Amino acid sequence: MRQLTVLYDPECGLCRRVREWLIAQPKYVELLFVAVNSSEAIFRYPMLNHALTRRDVTVIADDGGVYWGAKAWLMCLWALRQYREWSFRLSSPELLPTARRVVSMISQNRYRLEGVGRVFLRNSG
Amino acid sequence: MNILVVTYLVYLAISIALTVWVAQTLFKNGRVFLVDAFHGNEPLADSVNHLLVVGFYLINLGYVSLALELGYDVNTTRESIEALARKVGLVLLVLGGMHFFNLLIFSRMRRRSVIANAQPPIGPDQYTVTREPETCAS
Repeated sequence: MRQLTVLYDPECGLCRRVREWLIAQPKYVELLFVAVNSSEAIFRYPMLNHALTRRDVTVIADDGGVYWGAKAWLMCLWALRQYREWSFRLSSPELLPTARRVVSMISQNRYRLEGVGRVFLRNSG
Repeated sequence: MNILVVTYLVYLAISIALTVWVAQTLFKNGRVFLVDAFHGNEPLADSVNHLLVVGFYLINLGYVSLALELGYDVNTTRESIEALARKVGLVLLVLGGMHFFNLLIFSRMRRRSVIANAQPPIGPDQYTVTREPETCAS
């Protein structure tokens, strides 16, 4: 696995900030950012349910593996040099349900959480 | 030569021999870990191994020489052996501590390389067809 494509929502401020932060991090695996439901996304993944990708962040590996929601976040962490260990910790059976809950809460409220992103990710990217 | 000097000399001989033995063990067996941690880069592994062993010698021999002084007179063989046992025991504990510290360093280095090569912790939810924009244009 050499590249992961992240389908992100360019209309959400939090997503844009997280994207900037991810771009600035040192990586094991390259991350390519494509806007959800864009012509590029539809071209690259013709068989994907693009209506579903609007709901939550989606990561697609270069082997065609699709990761939704919490799994997509874990894959992003896994790609980063400084946070790969966290992807293993958070994917343990004890923590994965909590991770799923937190991620789905963040996704559903992502337009309202813009201010939080501004505070936490101010100095990056 | 009085009994105190003999005690000191025996102490030095035992301590230095123990230090050399532990350092050699570390040097010989730590190499495998380091070669693995550095992805088979043997010159780098040998170099780091050597540097670790030098540090090990410096700290242990430093401790051995600082702990040499008894601070009281030794007149009988019994007192001599007791003093020797206490001193050598301390040296052994310090050596053991240093040895485990070195093992910790080895396993940390190895762990880092294992993580760098690890597969994702989770499998995909589904598979989809992918197309690269370049392949379409041609």
